[in-house]
Amino acid sequence: MHHHEISQPDYGTGKKKLGIYVVGLICCSILTLIAFGMVMANMFPRWAVFTVIYSAACMQFLVQLFCFLRLNTQTKQGKINVMSILFTGVILLFIVAGSLWIMWNLNYNMM
Amino acid sequence: MLEHLLFGNLTLEAIPLHSPIIVGAGLFMVLVALAVVVLITIYGQWSYIWNEWITSVDHKKIGIMYLILSGVMLLRGFSDAILMRSQQAIAAGNNLGYLPPEHYDQIFSAHGVIMIFFVAMPMMFALLNIAVPLQIGARDVAYPYLNSLSFWLTFVGAMLCNASLVIGDFAKTGWLAYPPLAELYYSPGVGVDYFIWSLQIAGVGTLLAGINFIATIIKMRCKGMTLMRMPIFVWSALCAMILVALAFPVLTVTLALLFLDRMFGMHFFTDFAGGNIMMYINLIWVWGHPEVYILILPAFGVFSEVVATFSQKVLFGYVTMVWAIAIITFLSFVVWLHHFFTMGAGADVNAFFGVATMIIAIPTGVKVFNWLFTMYQGRIILATPMLWVTAFFTTFAIGGMTGVMMAVPPVDFQVHNSLFLVAHFHNVIIGGVLFGYFAGIIYWFPKAFGFRLDETWGKWAFAFWVLGFYVAFMPLYVLGLNGFMRRVNHYSDTMYQPYFIVAAIGAGLILIGIFLQIGQLIVSIKNRHALRDRTGDPWHGRTLEWSVSSPAPLYNFAVLPTVDSRDPFWAYKETHLAEGHVHPKDLHFQPIHLPKNTAAGFIIAMFAGITGFALIWHMWIPGVIGFLGVILTLIAKTFSTDTDYYLDAETVRRTELAHLKEAI
Amino acid sequence: MQSDVIAVNEHHSDNDTTDVFGFWLYIMTDCILFACLFATFIVLNLPGAPGPDLKNYLNLSDVLIETFLLLFSNFTFCLAVLNLYQDKFAKVQAWLAISFLLGASFVFIEVSEFIHLANEGFRWDLSGKASSFFTLVGTHGLHVSCGLLWILLMIMQLFLLKDTNAIKRRMTYLGLFWNFLDIVWIFVFTIVYLVGAI
Repeated sequence: MHHHEISQPDYGTGKKKLGIYVVGLICCSILTLIAFGMVMANMFPRWAVFTVIYSAACMQFLVQLFCFLRLNTQTKQGKINVMSILFTGVILLFIVAGSLWIMWNLNYNMM
Repeated sequence: MLEHLLFGNLTLEAIPLHSPIIVGAGLFMVLVALAVVVLITIYGQWSYIWNEWITSVDHKKIGIMYLILSGVMLLRGFSDAILMRSQQAIAAGNNLGYLPPEHYDQIFSAHGVIMIFFVAMPMMFALLNIAVPLQIGARDVAYPYLNSLSFWLTFVGAMLCNASLVIGDFAKTGWLAYPPLAELYYSPGVGVDYFIWSLQIAGVGTLLAGINFIATIIKMRCKGMTLMRMPIFVWSALCAMILVALAFPVLTVTLALLFLDRMFGMHFFTDFAGGNIMMYINLIWVWGHPEVYILILPAFGVFSEVVATFSQKVLFGYVTMVWAIAIITFLSFVVWLHHFFTMGAGADVNAFFGVATMIIAIPTGVKVFNWLFTMYQGRIILATPMLWVTAFFTTFAIGGMTGVMMAVPPVDFQVHNSLFLVAHFHNVIIGGVLFGYFAGIIYWFPKAFGFRLDETWGKWAFAFWVLGFYVAFMPLYVLGLNGFMRRVNHYSDTMYQPYFIVAAIGAGLILIGIFLQIGQLIVSIKNRHALRDRTGDPWHGRTLEWSVSSPAPLYNFAVLPTVDSRDPFWAYKETHLAEGHVHPKDLHFQPIHLPKNTAAGFIIAMFAGITGFALIWHMWIPGVIGFLGVILTLIAKTFSTDTDYYLDAETVRRTELAHLKEAI
Repeated sequence: MQSDVIAVNEHHSDNDTTDVFGFWLYIMTDCILFACLFATFIVLNLPGAPGPDLKNYLNLSDVLIETFLLLFSNFTFCLAVLNLYQDKFAKVQAWLAISFLLGASFVFIEVSEFIHLANEGFRWDLSGKASSFFTLVGTHGLHVSCGLLWILLMIMQLFLLKDTNAIKRRMTYLGLFWNFLDIVWIFVFTIVYLVGAI
């Protein structure tokens, strides 16, 4: 996808369009309301609430990535950006999940 | 009230006059610093130092400054080692030695902090700065101003650590400051605060440098240099910097949380009110393990360069080398628990991390075999860098093997925190990191300074270092297997003493090695005209840095190169030598766009240092001033428009022709 | 190795790409930073941890308002960027000002919440739970505050600086930063507030 000006630097983000931002805003608002609604309503079983709020969070995360940050693989820099965030994400998951596993395990063994 | 806001807890009692050793060391340090200042003043060199070095954003100069910092701090860190070896050699049975525990504890803590943060890391950044931009055919790193800031932040961190010698004291907790000992209740003094702030400030510098080099390597390679045509040193630098970017934030957080505990009474790592001590240990090693790979990967990169150059043969197995580096990078994030196998995790957790640790040895083995295969049937030149490589093979292999032994949790339960562990990590850090960096320094010294280092002195220094290392650390393996623990300043059973005496002799041999290195430097400077590197290619090298003069010109390349293979300079020499040309140069020179020097990096770092010192001593007004200074300087710099200039084509032409004349 | 002549002005565009990439890398490191704070928060808030729960002091409607303030601030900032690429600088400043006000309201509510919690006895030195709460949420709030200062600086630089390339580049950084903070907030309100209120 080419930018409308030849001298426009390739920031690795997609073309900025009002439509996408509005879509993003609406999706994020809905997901936020769903998550808060589940908790504030106080009438759903725990497992359901957990599932919904975590899924909503992950979905909103993706919506923000694509609609606001405009993460894409169309340009060369875009591909590099996506690779960076994927690698960071993998390591981040290892660090968080690994730490939680270890700390839970220590808690279990030592308490 | 005002006095309290200005001076906080700082009083004259903070100067440690009670210990003659500290007084002596502190006095020596202050006198040396004063002498440097006086000499610069007498010779009227302040404007030169300021304009050419302090405000420089040139990666070549910044690399040299990192090198000087690491060399100076090596002397301080090694003095700590001599103190410890001599103490342990005499403090057996009834003899308590001359270092009481309160002092000894600071020594081993400072020794670790200095060696890792202010010797090894700066030495690594020295090599990265000197070599990487030249090797990828770039004019500088991606963010020259940030590069300057990174150096000065590291410098300030080192100076804070040095300040702890003469004002207050240092942490007595070991180089990682585990809570609850590091918490305010058990370490009420300023020592741990000095630890926190020197590391925090230097850590920010390192993180920024990591970002800088990743961007440089990804975005600023010359035309034709695809990722798979980069020198292996650049690959190892890239992966080490990725590790820096992902691991150092963890250190920043962990130190910040410890600071919050100490300053505001929070409960992250306290032993009551819901703190979790093991979370500190977990997090600090999430950083700590990648840290050691950050140190070793560039050393591996140096070996790849040196082995290929001094075997006069292309590096064996380029692709597997890249894969090995990438796998090591990834795996270094899944092994951290092996640093605390004994601290309460269950067998399943220990087994996972134990197996992962053993797996990470495999790609390293692949690299060692590739180096050996490179040497096989090569025309080997045993110049000093190559000597360091050969010493590395054996030494690092032994260290690696003891590491794999300890990767087995039941074995680790026997030797954790014993001298066996101490011997292991010194084995891999000295045998791997230090030998590698020494090889790199000698290898790239001509490129940085314009003359080679004296080979004879170099070989003698090498001999004493290697012999000294083995004599100093092999006894420690035996002691560790016999149950002797680390961080002990005195022991009652004299049967161990002979081992410590041998180890002390080893330290003495290394000391001689260091003196010989200093001698090498002095002699080489004296003989620099005889040792001058006229062609820019003293070792008959393979990569782009050898295609420019020594030292490299300000702009690195008059014309940015285009490459079409690995080892592009070697390829160029093969084709052009065949055609009878030695250094054909395109005689069309263009003005070159260069960044202007800036004092901002230095000033921000100084303000950061003031803030750190103020926070340590609870001097709130200086603290606010320092913090505001950092922020306002940062902001002010963004309004500056006078940040770059064009070097005219005529100057470029003259520089290039002067080099050509000298080379021919 | 061929010698090649690079045009003197050609690299400016490449430089901007490299600069923004560097900022993207910084954002990656900030992700790791927040990840550690989240991990610490979760570990110190495991069931059975001593000290009072956040639940007793929580006001979820405030958090909902904060969430929408930040979300809309994110959106208005994107509008500012759109106008920037159309060179409508006055509109850019207007949208930036609105983003600032929305963001400042967020910070105001958050600080009020902290003060309220402290008055109720839920102070940061009370327990591991409290320390991790104030530090995680506070660090995010500090980042937002820095972003607010930065927005003000951009408004100023739109008045004072002639170099629109630099301004576009810096607005790109700030855009990445501001978006990133909203993303972190998604996880903050989910893991800290919503889970805390269940």
